[in-house]
Amino acid sequence: MQLIREIAFLLHKELTLELRQKYALGGILLYVLATVYVVYISFVKVDPANWNTLFWIIILFASVNAVARSFLQEHSGRQLYYYTLANPIAVLVAKILYNFLLLLLLSVLTLGAYSVVAGYLIRQPVPFLWAVLLGSLGFSIALTFVSAIASKASNASTLMAILSLPLLIPILATVIRLAKASFIPKAGVMIPIKSDLYILAGIDMLLLGAALILFSFLWRD
Amino acid sequence: MIIKHGWKLLGVVILIYTFIVGLLVPLKSGILEVSPQSVQPGRNISFRVLGYNTHYLSGEIRAWLKMDEEYTLASSQILIQNDRELKVIFGIPRFLPTADKVQDFTLLLDNEVDGAHLLPSAVFVTQDSINPAMGRLEWPPERITDLHEKEGITFPFRNILAETIRNTYFHVPMWFAMIFLFLGAVFYSGRYLRSKRSVDDFRAFTMIRVGVLFGIMGLLTGAVWAKNTWGAYWSGDIKQNMTAICLLIYMAYFVLRQAYEDPDQRARIASVYALFAFAAMIPLLFVIPRLTDSLHPGNGGNPALGGEDLDNTMRMVFYPAIIGWFLLGLWMAQLSFRIERLKERLLENED
Repeated sequence: MQLIREIAFLLHKELTLELRQKYALGGILLYVLATVYVVYISFVKVDPANWNTLFWIIILFASVNAVARSFLQEHSGRQLYYYTLANPIAVLVAKILYNFLLLLLLSVLTLGAYSVVAGYLIRQPVPFLWAVLLGSLGFSIALTFVSAIASKASNASTLMAILSLPLLIPILATVIRLAKASFIPKAGVMIPIKSDLYILAGIDMLLLGAALILFSFLWRD
Repeated sequence: MIIKHGWKLLGVVILIYTFIVGLLVPLKSGILEVSPQSVQPGRNISFRVLGYNTHYLSGEIRAWLKMDEEYTLASSQILIQNDRELKVIFGIPRFLPTADKVQDFTLLLDNEVDGAHLLPSAVFVTQDSINPAMGRLEWPPERITDLHEKEGITFPFRNILAETIRNTYFHVPMWFAMIFLFLGAVFYSGRYLRSKRSVDDFRAFTMIRVGVLFGIMGLLTGAVWAKNTWGAYWSGDIKQNMTAICLLIYMAYFVLRQAYEDPDQRARIASVYALFAFAAMIPLLFVIPRLTDSLHPGNGGNPALGGEDLDNTMRMVFYPAIIGWFLLGLWMAQLSFRIERLKERLLENED
């Protein structure tokens, strides 16, 4: 119970912090708009297979940028202060949850902007919705943890990119395959998505478990 | 002494055995090519047969076209061109004992020196008028008896693989060695987080270093093999892609180590990353490849290294090869570990 209360409180803190520094959210929004527009300018007309792939690549890079800040933005001294106040696991879980929400928002924004310039090509929203949900969760877990690892180094943002991109590829590959099912016209054949869903949920659970166990060795300096 | 150094010797002996036996044992006789591949029934047809590792000049040869267990057609005449080339003449009856329009036949050859060897789906017969009842009358049941076995130790002949089947003793065991080394690194990383002794971290580090080397070797031997059998060095096969990602993940580990000045912090964070990376790799290595179509055996529902791919003679080289490469990897990791220790001591003495 104590843990849940701590998580809720820390989540609230993250949200307040974010809303106070409006430039950060605005920056991400602008990043998404700019990337979407770059894609549009380079492709002009996008067929469904490329639409899907490009969408997730935009999400991938936007996520790396958005989540990188989670452990980097705050001073390490202040983080140590959090760890004395609350359970370090609660700090991690709150950040994962917060980033999950942030990535969901990011996905919605990207989908909106992308649909305006490249057209809305989704025919069956359900697989896509699952892909966004489980994909955002997996991205959030992996990226939050990697950001915790990278934050201790001097050149943290470079480290963040090279550590996280290979780790995210399995999630990305599964998500893209899962989301493909959304681009088939309704009358067409349904692609079975169950195995992809299980893999994705499995990866998420595995990463979450590893992150929770390993974080206790990471936060102490 | 024996226990301390014996395993290194064992590894080297096994690898020498792997190289000698794996490269020198001959392949079984096989059939490379049969032409024409597609024929029509009701006439005498002369097939040109190219053999591999065969000795047709020595001894009597028999040939059959085999449809199934029941219906088999013996050749009417065999003309021997040379040790590796035959002209086999079959008089194919007017009707086939099947209702299918196109039926494939296995060509089976047998002589004393080479033993029985065959090519599945060697010949396709297309019949215009279908009459299974007449076919059954025209194909008297024939029994194949007294087949020979090739003498001596041999590896199986696979039509596409041919001699490259020997790569099984290099490419595949290197993967096994890589996985074992990475598992060892996981063990030592975990132990470091408990013990905080820098030797554990060095062990993990050097095991990953050698594991990545084995991974690169496995990728290269696989690429050469793929060029031969699939036609391209890199065909975007799921296992190739996943392996490339794995290597990227572990190369990031080396960069991560460089990023920290403080040795304790470096060891701790590197250990945490090694464990997290391995967790992320489990679906990459063991789950996703099995659910996706792949050119590799053991994927898309195919059994891995099942009875078809590996016969008993090959097992006698393949299993020791895994142990041999793994022991060599351990030895390399140990040497690398000692170098790291010495470097650390050198640094301490400078202070």
